[in-house]
Amino acid sequence: MPPPRFPIPQGTLDMLILQILSLEPAHGYGIAQRLEQISRSVVQVNQGSLYPALHRLEQKGWLRSSWKESETGRDAKFYSLTPGGRKQLAVEKDSWARLAGAVRLIFEEGDGV
Amino acid sequence: MRQIWNWLRRHDLEDSLDRELQYHLDRRVSDLMGTGVPEAEARRQARLELGGLTLVREEVRDVWFTRWLRDFAADFRLTGRSFLRGPSFSAVIVLSLALGIGATTAIYSLVDQVILRALPIRQPERLVLIDWQGDQVASGFGTWNLMSYPICRDLQLQDQFFDGVLCRAAANVNLSTGGESRPAAVEIVSGTYFSTLGIRPALGRVLSPEDDQTPEASPVVVLAYDFWKAQFSGAPDVVGRKILINRHPMTVVGVAARAFHGVDVGQTPVLWVPASMSSQAIPGFQDMLDRRTRWMQILGHLREGITPEKAQAGLQPWFKSMLEEDSRRAGFPRIGAARRRRYFESTLTLKPAPQGHSALRRALSEPLWVLLAATALLLCLACLNVAGLFLARGLAREREIGTRLALGASRGRIARQLLADAILYSLAGGLLGVALSPFAMRSLIAFLPQDVAATSLQSTLDARLLLFAFVVSVVSGLASGLAPALTAGRESLVTSLRARGTLTFGAMRLRKVMVTGQIAFSLLLLIGAMLFARTLAGLLAKGPGFATTSLVAFSLDTSRNGYSPADGSRLMHRIQDEITASAMCQASGMTRFPLLTGGSWNNGMTIQAGQRITTDREVNMNAVTPEFFSALGIPVLAGRNFDQRDSRPSGDDSYRTAMVNETFVKRYLAGQNPIGAHVGFGTGPDAKTSIEVVGVVADSSYRDLREESEQAFFPYFQTNVGSGTFYVKVRSTPEAAFQSIRAIVQRADPSLPILSYRTMTEQIGRSLKSERMLAALSEAFGALALLLSLVGLYGVMSFMVTERTREIGIRMALGATGASTVWLVLRDALVMVAVGWAIALPCVHWLGRLVESQLFGVTATDFTTIAQATLLLASAAIGAAFIPAYRAASANPIDALRLD
Repeated sequence: MPPPRFPIPQGTLDMLILQILSLEPAHGYGIAQRLEQISRSVVQVNQGSLYPALHRLEQKGWLRSSWKESETGRDAKFYSLTPGGRKQLAVEKDSWARLAGAVRLIFEEGDGV
Repeated sequence: MRQIWNWLRRHDLEDSLDRELQYHLDRRVSDLMGTGVPEAEARRQARLELGGLTLVREEVRDVWFTRWLRDFAADFRLTGRSFLRGPSFSAVIVLSLALGIGATTAIYSLVDQVILRALPIRQPERLVLIDWQGDQVASGFGTWNLMSYPICRDLQLQDQFFDGVLCRAAANVNLSTGGESRPAAVEIVSGTYFSTLGIRPALGRVLSPEDDQTPEASPVVVLAYDFWKAQFSGAPDVVGRKILINRHPMTVVGVAARAFHGVDVGQTPVLWVPASMSSQAIPGFQDMLDRRTRWMQILGHLREGITPEKAQAGLQPWFKSMLEEDSRRAGFPRIGAARRRRYFESTLTLKPAPQGHSALRRALSEPLWVLLAATALLLCLACLNVAGLFLARGLAREREIGTRLALGASRGRIARQLLADAILYSLAGGLLGVALSPFAMRSLIAFLPQDVAATSLQSTLDARLLLFAFVVSVVSGLASGLAPALTAGRESLVTSLRARGTLTFGAMRLRKVMVTGQIAFSLLLLIGAMLFARTLAGLLAKGPGFATTSLVAFSLDTSRNGYSPADGSRLMHRIQDEITASAMCQASGMTRFPLLTGGSWNNGMTIQAGQRITTDREVNMNAVTPEFFSALGIPVLAGRNFDQRDSRPSGDDSYRTAMVNETFVKRYLAGQNPIGAHVGFGTGPDAKTSIEVVGVVADSSYRDLREESEQAFFPYFQTNVGSGTFYVKVRSTPEAAFQSIRAIVQRADPSLPILSYRTMTEQIGRSLKSERMLAALSEAFGALALLLSLVGLYGVMSFMVTERTREIGIRMALGATGASTVWLVLRDALVMVAVGWAIALPCVHWLGRLVESQLFGVTATDFTTIAQATLLLASAAIGAAFIPAYRAASANPIDALRLD
């Protein structure tokens, strides 16, 4: 029995996708695998919501895509980060850090009582 | 924007998404099989992980197109289906919108062509009309905004403001391209004309500044493209050919670019003549270089970045010094102090003129705006009608809408669907309207004089017009769909599912408001129609002051055929004698200037009768033969007609005697004996009063039917003038008379063309063109509006009667009479009419200002007209409401109660 996994928090999927693609361009299946690995099967990503998210990010101009030959020899749709996407990632990381810091502060204060 | 782009390439997107998802599935399946899962199980698991392919596709599509656009497309499909399911309902809606949109588009096309459209020239927005405000101390001829040719040359030197200045004058010539000569419209232009406008030749060359350096030195012309195609069949060797203008040979040097038709909408020239040849194009004209002869319009093309205001201010120093210099020039007339002041106070104004200069625009723009306003009203009315129909259908769809609400559709979603409905219907209406509009345009153009309309106005559709029709369609779709969309699903779910087709109170009230609006609009249009009909009838009843039956008119201009004034005058008199002697002629007279063409010879006068007075406005003048008054049946009221005593020895050109009309006597000689008074031309202190008034004639129209002006007549037969208009009272038909008149003229000179042969009835019709157009169209609009609003009223009343069947049944069972039942229903209709009337009345007052100048013998707020229109509308409305009322009253109470 695998350890119980909790669903990914609302709104963080976009950030994770941007983070993965900031390392190297990848196709949808590759991103799904990377998500699994990175989160060490702790975070549960609904694969069905991956594709709408990819298309939404592309629409916003943060990703661009092209059909290229993949590692299996078949053509796959590869996504990569645009400069705008890179900026967005920085913004999201920053606000995430601030949020996490704030939450931790609140918890520590609570523990101190 | 992006969504629409996505929508257009949706097939590519779908394709790509399918491939992308397929790749994912295949990889997942092979990975799972690698870990020992059997293939069937691996496929199942891979699909499950994705959460259903259809759902993923749907969600991605939402990203591409947004929900809104996708729903709209679905709505349109639904509308399309319901469109076909209720064809008669659809037909009524589409037809009413098509009428409104078609009429608006047709009128707009004329507004666009006559008023709005810029000339097909380089940077039309930089073209300005240069005009002299004040007294030019000059004589002249032509239409408006006239100046002299030398001023145009001066302005060409002001090149810090302009990169080109042109001057032009319209003229009519006798043109021969080989065969017999015919009258033709030409434009006399400066050599800078084509370069200023940036018009290139289609063949050969256009005119250049060298062509108007020396008077009479450059006998060349440039043909208009259409004329080249029609007259020379587009012959490529036309350059170098000779043509005859007023019998002077001229060489064709080129053909202008195809799209260019001159700078005057309404007078399309067949060719362009350089100003240096103006004495050939206008026989006897020698004043091209005279600074005191105003006959040309001047247009300038501003330099980049120069505004009209800047150029106007910058030109004043030069202009003031020119005024100064001119006043010291030899030949500058001696003028009084007052006039001198007016001369020196003159300024030069620059007005943007991207549409060029047009007399037609001046005459038609007001009637056209009035008509556009009328069609806009008609379109509003049609929209209200359609909105009413949609509301009525809302009743039938209440259950459908209720069901959809129950299934979880939002109200906004349903409202959007109804809006999509309305827009699709109005686009269909617009399409039909656009298809019909060329016919409407053709019939509109038919109201205008043929010579103008045929050459200058088109009844074809272009991109601008299509865009206009599209925008109008979408706006009217939104307007007619808004009310139904807003009310949709407002009632609670339960009532709408349970109730079987009771029209809800809110929707009913809304329909009443709409019908009231329709009544107000149609009352406005009816009043307008009646005002214009009364104006036309009033003008026709007033008449020109002479009998027009069997009266025909035609003009001759011998000077264009190379006659000297003396020879031409002799020829004219010989023709006049022959016509008088011929069998078909009852009486015949001649005038120097034609009647009822809008123009006149006019001047201020000085009158010496006991004391010396000057006229406070221009007197309209004409020179006539003694037979003129008897031929037209204008009675001589006092004194005598012209006769042999008034003839002068040849060479003496001064008038000795004059006749004046009644209005002249009333205004300037009231209470005195006009016979024996002395008059003279001009109003200055040095004006001589050496002309004796010998007779007074009854009033008759000169310029047009509206005007009642002071007129003075001078004897025609003593002067050496080779042109004029004949008025012949004929015994036969006008067609038969034309044959004998042509025979007489051809015997005198076979190459002399007869100009504008018409019956006087026809001439009056021409002079009333805008009145006739306004009357006929506003009557048609008024009738349509009445019909539409009556249909609306009838619909509402029928609904209300059906709604109240039970109530009426109870009332009748309790003893109400048929009459009181009818009154119960009619009362509602009367309230709507009364409220509509109350809305319309202030609008009449307000819109009245727009039409006031187009009216004659009646004011915009004329009591009788408003009363008549109200009466007509009210009785028609009662008629329409009476049918359902009668049906209600004649229903059997038992049946009424049993219903439902």
